[in-house]
Amino acid sequence: MNGWRTFLAVSTQAPFEAPVTGTGTASGNVDGQVIAITVFSTIKWYGRVFLPVLFFATARFPNLTGTLAKLSFIHFARWSIVKQLPYNGEPQVKQKLHYPHMYFESNFNGGWEEYIDAFSHILTRGMTSFWGSSYGFPKPLPTAPFKQYIKQNEIIACHYYAAYPEATATMVRQSLELDAKLAPLKRNAAKMDPDQFAAAYRKLLTDAQLCL
Amino acid sequence: MTSRNVSGQAYAFLAMTPIMPGEEKPLRTYLDGLRDRGPSPLAKLARTHMGRFVIVEDFINDPSWKQRKPEHLAMPYLIFSSNFDGDLDSYLDELCEELAPEAKQIWGRCVGCPESAEGPALKKYLKHNQIDTGVFYTPDGKTTVAEIKAALRQRDRMIAFARSHQGDEPEALHAAFVKEFGS
Repeated sequence: MNGWRTFLAVSTQAPFEAPVTGTGTASGNVDGQVIAITVFSTIKWYGRVFLPVLFFATARFPNLTGTLAKLSFIHFARWSIVKQLPYNGEPQVKQKLHYPHMYFESNFNGGWEEYIDAFSHILTRGMTSFWGSSYGFPKPLPTAPFKQYIKQNEIIACHYYAAYPEATATMVRQSLELDAKLAPLKRNAAKMDPDQFAAAYRKLLTDAQLCL
Repeated sequence: MTSRNVSGQAYAFLAMTPIMPGEEKPLRTYLDGLRDRGPSPLAKLARTHMGRFVIVEDFINDPSWKQRKPEHLAMPYLIFSSNFDGDLDSYLDELCEELAPEAKQIWGRCVGCPESAEGPALKKYLKHNQIDTGVFYTPDGKTTVAEIKAALRQRDRMIAFARSHQGDEPEALHAAFVKEFGS
């Protein structure tokens, strides 16, 4: 049984001991581990044509966002184009926008600086595709001017909410992977004898080591 | 074709509503203070993954960008955005009922919001001011808030179990596991 004792000395993360990583932004943008970023940018004339094509292609061929999946700290992100503002009657001032404007939001964990760094270095081409037609966009690299651009265009949230603020996107993924791996053992454990179970449990811990 | 507001079973909603003249500051004060008054009202909407309220005062105009002409918002706007599970209609039904007390303080300060700021009239107002999504990215999109919360809790239980039963004999380990996780 000594082998058992050694093998079962698994390494795990403490459930709620992870440090809060949401740093580098205003408190209004933070809920636990999760950070909100909200950015408006004004689009040049050719973006009127290019961005809808890019959006269509991205929706039609989801693999185009595959690189985003490398950024394992994103919960949700979106881009929208505001062409005109819905009119609600007076006293709203009716205005015709001269330019379309791009709205970008992301929900992620980690530090603001690290997030922009990762975006710039990993999604260099993607960033240029999405923001290249925005006024003032300085290219993703080097990162200092790009960070300055995002800061200039960012709007701090007045109120931000995350349903599972204690969890990073990685923890969510690990939990869902663990759930899939654990399900068969939960289902069958009662029908196994102790030795069968012990072997299956050992295999589970090996397979799920990266989820814990 | 699937709406671009949708990814898997997740929906990205955004409404941009004009703030009544003179109401920006009280609205900002109210929204900023939501946290001090207890849990977020968005927690009442169990299908909400993440949501935010943002006040847009104006577009950014920088002379160095050589924009042909500057563009300014004629008045400040409130953005409400939410990433949630399921379809928009049933979500807004829930929102317009559950958030009625807060809605009066939030959208009630916006131009065109119905007097009651609740129910079907508020839903119609929010849909009228919806801005469609161009690209919606979720790493998964298939999993609901309830499923994620349950999986996170289960992971914590599994970590605690693995720690506290290191070195157990098979009989004891088996019995403890069935007790903890057996269905």
